[in-house]
Amino acid sequence: MKISVFINLIFLLLHKQKTKYISIFILSTLTIFLLSTVIFIKSSLQNEILKTLESHNDFIIQREFGGRIFDIENQLEDKLRNIYGVKNITKRVYGRYKFLSEDVYFTIIGVDFSNLNKELKNLGLQNISNDEMIVGFEVDNLLKKYKYTNYYDFFLPNKEIKKVKIAKVLEKESNIISSDIIILDINLARDILGINRDFSTNIAFDVPNELERTNIKQKLQRLDLELNIIQKEDILKKYETIFNYKGGVFLILYLVVLFAFIMILYQRYSQVSINERKQIAIFKAIGYSVRDIIKIKMSENFVVAFVSYLFGVLLAYFFVFILNAPILKNIFIDFSNIKNDFIIYPYIEFSTFVTLFLFFMVLFLSSVLIPVWKISAINPYESLR
Amino acid sequence: MIVAKNISKIYFEGSKKEFYALKNINFEIKKGSFVIFKGVSGSGKSTLLSILSTISKPSFGEILFDKEPVSKYPDIHASSFRAKNIGYIFQSFNLFEDLTVFVNVSLPLIPLGFSQKDIDKKVEEILTLSNILHKKDEIVSNLSGGEKQRCAIARALINNSNTILCDEPTSSLDYENSMNFIKTLKELKESGKTIVVATHDPLFFELDFVDKVFELKNGVLVE
Repeated sequence: MKISVFINLIFLLLHKQKTKYISIFILSTLTIFLLSTVIFIKSSLQNEILKTLESHNDFIIQREFGGRIFDIENQLEDKLRNIYGVKNITKRVYGRYKFLSEDVYFTIIGVDFSNLNKELKNLGLQNISNDEMIVGFEVDNLLKKYKYTNYYDFFLPNKEIKKVKIAKVLEKESNIISSDIIILDINLARDILGINRDFSTNIAFDVPNELERTNIKQKLQRLDLELNIIQKEDILKKYETIFNYKGGVFLILYLVVLFAFIMILYQRYSQVSINERKQIAIFKAIGYSVRDIIKIKMSENFVVAFVSYLFGVLLAYFFVFILNAPILKNIFIDFSNIKNDFIIYPYIEFSTFVTLFLFFMVLFLSSVLIPVWKISAINPYESLR
Repeated sequence: MIVAKNISKIYFEGSKKEFYALKNINFEIKKGSFVIFKGVSGSGKSTLLSILSTISKPSFGEILFDKEPVSKYPDIHASSFRAKNIGYIFQSFNLFEDLTVFVNVSLPLIPLGFSQKDIDKKVEEILTLSNILHKKDEIVSNLSGGEKQRCAIARALINNSNTILCDEPTSSLDYENSMNFIKTLKELKESGKTIVVATHDPLFFELDFVDKVFELKNGVLVE
């Protein structure tokens, strides 16, 4: 068959059976849309969070007794300085502060303003004084609701009140990681969280030489058996597991939907109407081989499946990256505390979409191929009478 | 020359419902002749035509077209043989009702690998010959019975086949259209084509240009 003539024929036949194919198109588009939406959200959030984690220190050490975490003494910093290969040691203070009016928690992060790393400098912390703070977008919204437009009065553990000025509000775009955070001076954070000034929540540091990391971890553990040493890779793995778990749940749901869809399609072709049997019989009678008929049917369905795939993916792109995936995105982010109305940035894993395309096409076309082959291989002559 | 040798067709073979649609059929049809297979409904006429056209295969025996055992061809060769050598006209036309006359008539040329330009030329010619060119862009479902028949004839002739098989061709036509159709068949015979008609329409039995009439009774040939 000449390709141009064949393509003409396929589009004529598609037009002739438009009612049938429109329903298949809608079902297929919906299936692809659902899965693409999940893939887009998962990939984008994972990428954002992993990108943020990438800029973190290589190691974090905590004090641990009996499986519980305690504040770590600041003097450990000096011991770390004596280990060759350890760089950028940073004492970190953080914890949760209950905002009683809304029964939600803010995440307090104490930072040494005199020793800011690149990430903190990017947040614009250089010009903040020790009695000022930077707040997340959603924190600011909550404070404003209670008329705290320029400052907030923290209740300290010793029942005193500490007034802290809001120097800056973080942009909504960074909400995925910062919606509930308050960044302030490390000693001010200790006072608010009730941490002794000689202690920190943990200590972070880098080991630029990757080959030395295991050695240094072992050396530290020998130095103090009650240290909990966490490597950045462990945190990355933990986050990946969480995303893969949530993505996996959706993948199973998708497979169920896809399987149901394919079964409907298979049933539909297995119980082909008299008209369709007749169509196949006419083709055979006027000289089309079983191979030609299968080629025609497969091409018709390929066009429908391909257009459905494109529509499904484009719709999902629009829903996720333009409309910001209302409702669905909160499934991927912990929504139990402060509302986290973050923006999802376009990030596409092409390999995932190629796999999805092949997977979808193979299932789709096989559900058509088997029944069509059966019908065209058996004698269709009776359909012509 | 078409030769049928000991043709039998068994349906539901090996089951309780097994029955012989055709039993031990033997005949010869000379090139350019006009042959009729008559018989009541269920006598096996259509089954015989489907075997002659290579759409279905006999359970036993063989069909030879110019000494070629076409009934033994695999599907890919049988369909190619059919596309090049057989024109088929059905009882209920069996056209694609939602497509135009032009597309319906052009369909047999597509598996033969013709270009769109050649297809356009051939279809125009055959539609002119069949006197239906003025309806070429009309959807088939909008045509009258006679027009549909002319469209079906045009489709059967488009591949310039030497053998035309007709299965109850006049059963959906009124007297006038039936006579017009018979006239067309006569012209086709005169042009050298072999015509095989399966029918129980008495109009065919009185024709003076018919070379041979075979009668089928319960799948058995009675000459």
